[in-house]
Amino acid sequence: MAGAMVVFDHVWKEFARGERHDSLRDLVPSLFRRVTGRREADAGARDAFWALQDVSFEVHAGEALGIIGRNGAGKSTILKLLTRILKPTRGTRRLSGRTGALIEVAAGFHPDLTGRENVYLQGAIMGMRRAEITAHFDEIVSFAGLEPFIDTPVKRYSSGMNARLGFSIAAHLDPDVLLIDEVLAVGDMAFQKKCQSRMKQFRAKGVAIVFVSHHLPAVARLCNHVLLLEGGRPLHLGTPGDVIAAYCRGTGASGCGEVAIAAALRANRRAGVDAFEIEPGERLTLDVTLQFHLDVERASVGIVVWDLARELYVYGASSDCIGIPVLHARRGESRQYTFSFDANLTRGLYALEVNVVDLARHRMVGLARRIRHFQVLEQVSYDGVANLYLTGREVSALSVSGPPLEALAR
Amino acid sequence: MPGLRTEFRELINEQFEFRELLYQMTSRDLLLRYKQTAMGFAWALLTPILNTVVFSVVFMRVAPVDTPVPYPLFAYCGLLAWNFTASALRFAVTSLTGNTNLVTKVYFPREIFPFAAVAVSLVDYAVAASVLVGMMAWYHIGSLASLAFLPAVLVVHIAFTTALALLLAMANLFYRDVKYLFEVVLTFWMFASAIVYPVDAVHGTLGVLIRANPMTAIVDAYRHVLLYGTAPDLLPFASAAALGLLLLPTAWLAFHRSEFRFAENI
Repeated sequence: MAGAMVVFDHVWKEFARGERHDSLRDLVPSLFRRVTGRREADAGARDAFWALQDVSFEVHAGEALGIIGRNGAGKSTILKLLTRILKPTRGTRRLSGRTGALIEVAAGFHPDLTGRENVYLQGAIMGMRRAEITAHFDEIVSFAGLEPFIDTPVKRYSSGMNARLGFSIAAHLDPDVLLIDEVLAVGDMAFQKKCQSRMKQFRAKGVAIVFVSHHLPAVARLCNHVLLLEGGRPLHLGTPGDVIAAYCRGTGASGCGEVAIAAALRANRRAGVDAFEIEPGERLTLDVTLQFHLDVERASVGIVVWDLARELYVYGASSDCIGIPVLHARRGESRQYTFSFDANLTRGLYALEVNVVDLARHRMVGLARRIRHFQVLEQVSYDGVANLYLTGREVSALSVSGPPLEALAR
Repeated sequence: MPGLRTEFRELINEQFEFRELLYQMTSRDLLLRYKQTAMGFAWALLTPILNTVVFSVVFMRVAPVDTPVPYPLFAYCGLLAWNFTASALRFAVTSLTGNTNLVTKVYFPREIFPFAAVAVSLVDYAVAASVLVGMMAWYHIGSLASLAFLPAVLVVHIAFTTALALLLAMANLFYRDVKYLFEVVLTFWMFASAIVYPVDAVHGTLGVLIRANPMTAIVDAYRHVLLYGTAPDLLPFASAAALGLLLLPTAWLAFHRSEFRFAENI
């Protein structure tokens, strides 16, 4: 393989915490202290922290790396290092070819200038030549859907229009490396779809992509590697399924209550894997072990399927409603259950929750959110959550009895 | 020093790569002024004209001074040159801090900001110079031969101004006091340069100090070349030229080397 387009080699980045000298008022006393040798009061200035610690990765042409992690994990710092706004404290970073950044796509807009004038200004900020912008101008405007307003000052634009125009300019760059920050969340559904397909086109053309996002399904869809950061440290680097599952476990798998819950997920043929990649409709089996730390007279076990990306409650059912007798257990005892279901879901990332409800006291006594994960892969991406297995065929050539067209027209 | 040479080559290459942005930034500022103000470019003319009127009243009626050419012409020429430096620096000092969004979020060579400030003022300078040409025609003053020195004077003047623009923009990013200090110094500096009075009128230590001021040398050089029909005074102009042409690369390098700290410190 030819050299990597993006190389991040053991990068460390240190930031000063708190207020720095902002005015001469602070500088003068500190210089004075330095001269007189009194240093003790200067200690506050040395309060530093590591925003990134020993982060390494490579991205080759046509590959996409997703970077995920909680707020403050260091994702934006990586992007700022990649865009050359910041310089690493230790280690090196290298980018080859022309870099495009879908970060703050409307940062250069001036409210008093028209859309047209701002396209040229923002384009130049992104490193485009005038001829290049002129050549793509009509495409940019129509991509943003702003033809009627292009000669209106952008101060009269809505924030959505602003963001759409900015994204549209960036989308018409011709980069070798593309850095993307949480920008796909602009505009309405239709525009977001357009953006996502644009990203895929870039990747197909051989652009190396670094994508920072909280939008996990977008990461799963676009990227072939994902890096999980926590507190500035690289925690996981691997396939989207594995890393996203590790991330979700880290954020929500905390079991709570007086019942300890353990679970293992199996598919038809495979077993013991952490994060599953399955076909839509495949049958999954969840083996659940419950360890009781209290006495319960009547309890049920609930299973919930969550769509992680959309934070959507997809399906919930419990042992009592599928005919399993109510559970009765004493402190110190354990119980095993096995549940199976058909994953009639569309492409995406899902989590399983197991809960135990004390039916007598109407109280949840055990809860394990996101105890297991699975990812539904499919070639065609349907909209929505549930796969209803739509079928159909064209029947116009056959003489079938249906409502006459005139009736439909009325 | 091969290291320094490659560093400079990179600087200039990068600037060349982003030449489009310098053009766009400059035209943005000009366009904005044209859109936001009723008089647009007329302000570029009005400021030096009004200043000339004020100083003409003072130095022709209240406290008359002897000048080699009619006083209004003498003053306008000086004020024109001074206004270029003053307005370029005034724009430059807040050019980085006024664009926080761009400085912290998007990468491009940050020199663009002070450079655009100088370029905008240069356009105003050219506009206002038309009045000077008119005045020279009116008074029948000026010679073609000495005009050959004009490019050299311009280069030194622009280099000197650009160097200060880089330093001030950078200094104000790290210490916001610079902007206020600068306003005070600017007024003082104008009277410490021989803008509205002839340098020969000042004697003693004060005269020596005023002559040591590079702006005095630059403004005086303009007058020699444009109004007196002679070459600039060699010693003061050569010193100003040496200073300007040395200061510019130094300032640019200093600016470039601290550039990566801008986003963290703004």
